[in-house]
Amino acid sequence: MKLDRIIFGDNQFFGINHMSEEKAQAQAQKFKDVDSIIKVVDTAYDCGIRAFMFNTHDKVAHVCDHFRANPERYADISLYPSMPYAHKYAHAVNEKGMTGALNDILIKGNSAKQIVTAVKRGFSAVTKKDMAEMMKLLIDAEMKMFRGLNVKVIFLQNIVTDLLYGLGFKNILREYADYITEEYNVEPGFITLNLPGLVDFLIECGIENPIVCSGINKIGYLMNSDRESYEEAIQNKPFRPMAMSILASGAVPPREAVEYITSQKNIRSIVFGASSKAHIEETKNMIEQLGDTIPMELSRSVPEWSRGQVTGNRDRIPTASPKTPNRIIEIPREKNSNRGVSIENH
Amino acid sequence: MLKAAIIGMGRMGVTHFSILNNHPDVEFVSICDSSNFILKNFNKQIGIDVYTNYRKLIDKSNLDFIIVCTPTSSHAPIVKYSLEKGIHVFVEKPFTLTVAEGQELVALAEENKLVNQVGYVNRFGEVFCEVKKQITDGLIGDLIHFKFEMYGPTVTRPTKASWRSKKREGGGCLYDFSSHCVDLINYYLGMPDKAVGSILKKIYSEGVEDAVYTNFVYKSGVTGQLMANWSDTSFRKPLYKIELQGKKGKIVADQHAYKVFLMEANEEKGFEKGWDTRYVTDFSQDVRFYVRGNEFTRQLDYFVDCILGKEKNDTSTFADALVTDQIIESIIKDYEERTNK
Repeated sequence: MKLDRIIFGDNQFFGINHMSEEKAQAQAQKFKDVDSIIKVVDTAYDCGIRAFMFNTHDKVAHVCDHFRANPERYADISLYPSMPYAHKYAHAVNEKGMTGALNDILIKGNSAKQIVTAVKRGFSAVTKKDMAEMMKLLIDAEMKMFRGLNVKVIFLQNIVTDLLYGLGFKNILREYADYITEEYNVEPGFITLNLPGLVDFLIECGIENPIVCSGINKIGYLMNSDRESYEEAIQNKPFRPMAMSILASGAVPPREAVEYITSQKNIRSIVFGASSKAHIEETKNMIEQLGDTIPMELSRSVPEWSRGQVTGNRDRIPTASPKTPNRIIEIPREKNSNRGVSIENH
Repeated sequence: MLKAAIIGMGRMGVTHFSILNNHPDVEFVSICDSSNFILKNFNKQIGIDVYTNYRKLIDKSNLDFIIVCTPTSSHAPIVKYSLEKGIHVFVEKPFTLTVAEGQELVALAEENKLVNQVGYVNRFGEVFCEVKKQITDGLIGDLIHFKFEMYGPTVTRPTKASWRSKKREGGGCLYDFSSHCVDLINYYLGMPDKAVGSILKKIYSEGVEDAVYTNFVYKSGVTGQLMANWSDTSFRKPLYKIELQGKKGKIVADQHAYKVFLMEANEEKGFEKGWDTRYVTDFSQDVRFYVRGNEFTRQLDYFVDCILGKEKNDTSTFADALVTDQIIESIIKDYEERTNK
């Protein structure tokens, strides 16, 4: 599987700005309705961008509905979902406690029959105190919005990735990677604010040649423990780096930012977000002009599964455009009576 | 290697564990919680010793330090037991529910010469530290007035599920939420002479307040206002907005940036006349490991460095947090006197 060189990010749509609360609020206002988000996505698509990273925000479910309703318009689109949308969970847990929050999340968007299955599965996970099983339930709940769409990588957000890394929960990260690979037929990805340490940890977990996405910028902003260790890791460690936050919340001018990123030759993909046509075009062109060197794609040992030759779930049937024959998201099927939420489009 | 344990593995306990677990001088040996889910999974994943009784944990674990993240009402007995056993203590904010309990713990920590810290993490936030430095250096001259605001969407509908909605456990906006802002006032200006016109307002909660509004008066003539509301859904996450007016200018800050207005340029510090903004990207320092914010790592690394003798234990101490508790009590007293409660 080849990662897209340019991926359009979504922070700007959800009032996320690490530099200024005022800007964040202004953006949140600008993208209050889903149509305004779709308009910018269309602008990016029409500029030739085909890859989009979306967090599992409620609004994204509506954007995905739009993609499904217009399969020809978005025939070549690739999605890179990231989960969870952490604030959604923090809210739910604050208000309803852990179990109440879990039930809410499992119930949402399901039919009565599915709710029975999901709650039964959730109840089983809770009573067995099985963290991995609960994680799988939540992945299924989060991924429902992407059904029928072409997904390339499913990312775990930094708040979860880095927490699990810090806790030393190797099995859970490994189970995440296996579940995404086996059940969804796509590659797992990891977003982090601690790239060098995380890469070592993922390799220790047995996750080979991982896809790791991190803020990477010229001034070393939020690159822990420091920029030099990032550069050293990107140069020497066996993983596939993706860069985001390249402008460091606006602290680095675009040209300098792109020059720096494209000088880090092993970076596979660059994620950037913008709201205006001019900014989208400018950044895209700059990346293409300055970064015409395609990074080494297969110079390292790439495991079987990361090339998309998966072992399980061979019976999936693509439901989108024939141009994108692989990795159409199907919701995992039931393997046995108490496992797997059977989801169809209702 | 320092042997450590955490009592209370809720959101903060788990965060602290994650931050210090990779610290080169720290080894976690045990955790304590009432949740079997947490205990079973931690034991299964990393083989750590788990307890449901904190006394047993402390008696058996041979600890150098402990991190206490239980609901506020249980801080005092757990911290006291730890200090009596000669263990250094980091306890989550707010410190205790009564000033009397806090005074006893301050004395006990001093008597046993133990490192003590309370989780007022803003004292390790980059923008707030910069603002503190600018005020201390006299950038805006003698202070006249301040306005500290804190808003967030913590409680957005009627609920009884969590300890945060129970007054006797330390719930409510004043203790659980606004204490961060009260501590910033303490950090910048110390204990006010009095709180006046205090309002503790219920919005969704039944047993506790969801908003706190009050005014502070200092003997020096400085005055200020606190406005905190944890039921404000217009914010995606908790937001601070602080404004300090001095005789030479003004500082307006949030977690991301601070703006300075000066009547005259300050060349030594590089500030222009009029408005001038400093963003966190201008002075941010990376940390050893990041989860949820670099200030969380900085605060715990500082605590460990204090134990190792690399830092002086002089900020966010029990004594500092006791003053914050005293300010909180003065707000409650003012409110109750005015409303005859």
